[in-house]
Amino acid sequence: MLKVLIEKELREVFGSLKFTITFGACAILVILSFYMGASNYSFSHAQYEAAKAQNLKQMEGLTDWASLQNHRIFLPPQPLAALVNGVSNDIGRTIMVEGRGELTAEDSRYNDDPIFAIFRFLDLDFIFGTILSLFAILLGYNSISGEKEQGTLRLALANAIPRTRYILAKLISSAIALVLPLLIAILIGCLILVILRIPFSGEDWLTLILIIITGLLYACVFLTLSIFISALTHRSSNSFLLVLTIWIFGALIVPRASVLLASRTVKVPSVDETTAQKSRYSSQLFKEDKTKMSQFKPSDIDDPEIMVDEFNRFMENIADERDEKMNRFAERINEERSNKLRERQKLSLALARISPTTSMTLAVTTLAGTSLMLKNHYRDEAARYQKSYGDFMKEKAGMNPGGHVMRIKMMMDDEEEPEQINPSELPVFNYKKASVFSAAKTASLDLLFLVIYILLFLTGSFWAFGKYDLR
Amino acid sequence: MKNEFDNDPAVMLETLNLSKRYEDGVLALDNLSFCVKAGEIFAMLGGNGAGKTTTLNLFLNFIEPTEGEARINGFTTHTDPLRAKEYVSFVSENVILYENFTAIQNLDFFTRIGGKTDYSSDDYRDVLRRVGLADDAHNKRLKQFSKGMRQKCGIAIAILKDAPAILLDEPTSGLDPRAGREFIKLLDSLRGEGKAILMSTHDIFRAKEIADTIAFLDNGHIVMQKNASEIAGKDLVDLYMQYMAGHSAEPANTVEV
Repeated sequence: MLKVLIEKELREVFGSLKFTITFGACAILVILSFYMGASNYSFSHAQYEAAKAQNLKQMEGLTDWASLQNHRIFLPPQPLAALVNGVSNDIGRTIMVEGRGELTAEDSRYNDDPIFAIFRFLDLDFIFGTILSLFAILLGYNSISGEKEQGTLRLALANAIPRTRYILAKLISSAIALVLPLLIAILIGCLILVILRIPFSGEDWLTLILIIITGLLYACVFLTLSIFISALTHRSSNSFLLVLTIWIFGALIVPRASVLLASRTVKVPSVDETTAQKSRYSSQLFKEDKTKMSQFKPSDIDDPEIMVDEFNRFMENIADERDEKMNRFAERINEERSNKLRERQKLSLALARISPTTSMTLAVTTLAGTSLMLKNHYRDEAARYQKSYGDFMKEKAGMNPGGHVMRIKMMMDDEEEPEQINPSELPVFNYKKASVFSAAKTASLDLLFLVIYILLFLTGSFWAFGKYDLR
Repeated sequence: MKNEFDNDPAVMLETLNLSKRYEDGVLALDNLSFCVKAGEIFAMLGGNGAGKTTTLNLFLNFIEPTEGEARINGFTTHTDPLRAKEYVSFVSENVILYENFTAIQNLDFFTRIGGKTDYSSDDYRDVLRRVGLADDAHNKRLKQFSKGMRQKCGIAIAILKDAPAILLDEPTSGLDPRAGREFIKLLDSLRGEGKAILMSTHDIFRAKEIADTIAFLDNGHIVMQKNASEIAGKDLVDLYMQYMAGHSAEPANTVEV
């Protein structure tokens, strides 16, 4: 019986013009998002390689490691980030590394191409969040109320069919009609990735599968919601209106309103304010150092080499001391700000998670490594690199040159021409993103929310259809 | 709940003191009792709101009775709906099947959910021919069908289910005279096969032509129940005016037939 009902539903759905049009549009967008993601990755990768080469090129001809300036590291483009953009285009990709001091990321993708900031890229988060959920609504909104209007529901239930089986068949067949054709489009998308030779590791493929499962779970939330609403109403126009209103609130209003509400509730000092505070403190430290500098007394004023050496050491000590004070101050200011930010973020997410769209976005961006944590993760990775860079410079130049250290170098007329430095000796910045397992662990809460929504609407569908008035 | 019909195996459809009061307080059926035996056509007549469709809805367990019960082949519909529905076919007023399916596909689906899974395509064609649907329409989608053609499909589904009882809701409404005549012939042959047929209708003339028993319903009561043969053709207009055109009904025992 269940098989007969499912077969009928699938035949009806697949044979309808509504399905052909909506699925066609959806499939094209899915395939397009894979193609555009792959193209964007190739473009970003080329840019990244060029920037790295340019960074090494500017070091050519230098003969002293201590005179190395403007050394930059770059956030390497990730294949998955091209499919689920998250914040990857908003955060700065370039960080200047000096050996000490605060690290600031600059040059975001949207900063380079502001047009994309307005229209954004066509990624899987958008496809799932907007297109797929609407597709699910179109599949489910009239599944019960539409049959009631047609009169076929009365005719079918005049037979010995338990209502639970009838609604179960509706749910299963709608899920098949939603998932199966989309999987075909997604498989074509994956094929595009292979053809365009996007370097996906085994872990990347596993992550992509988890992202797709998340997207399909999210679509099933709206599918079960639509069927539930359809079983509560007697006109398909009413159920469509009701589901669409819920979708507008869930997908568009709740996430935005939550952030606004949280930002009004928890005040966070702006970056400009904290920068100004740091700048004031830095000026104050420089003033203090000036006084210290006037107290420099070399042990032997007759030997310029000893004097220069002592001066450099003296200045480095001052810089280290100042750096330490500045770091402590900056750390305190940053911590205060990040605590407030965390508090605000926590509140925003707690409110926004009322919407399944938020859960889906958080889950897929976490899995793709492009969530809100990307900025901090990149900075942590850069800070780790800066430490190894500082150690390297100490070894090569005898000092860590970062943080405005005044240094004197004596040039002797008879000195041999020094050898050029070899930039390839520099430590390499190896960005490590979170493993798929730790990402999945972080995303599991949001995946659980999606499953809870589905179970809730499934139960609602059975309950509402059990009481459905067939008059 | 026992009654006089309990031991009569020929009784396929029966209502026993059946009452239905809706949530808004309207009493749609009040203590209704009747039975339809195998090989009998029972026509319920009455104006809008008389309780005809409510009775059919109670037989199909689409709604639950406030009091009393409806039974199909001895099974009470609101306590044992699935068993009861195994013995009944239903043809609705406006047979609207799946528009994108052909006649054969619709028949295939509805007979399979009716529990008959061993029919072939040829069996479907034979039944469609029997109900008067031309061969070239068998593989056409239902959206191209007229009301009469849809009605024939509905009857074909009921025939294929081969249930001993058939419920018909306004089966002749909107049919042209020729289709109406064909339909009457078909009902006659189904009666000949021993089916118990309960039909609700506004069409007093066709009811007189085909039914064995005619019951007039008004405000949820049977106000008159007679064998069709007892009703004279000349009285049909009066009866129509009295019970179906909105005029107040006189008590059943005062009606002259």
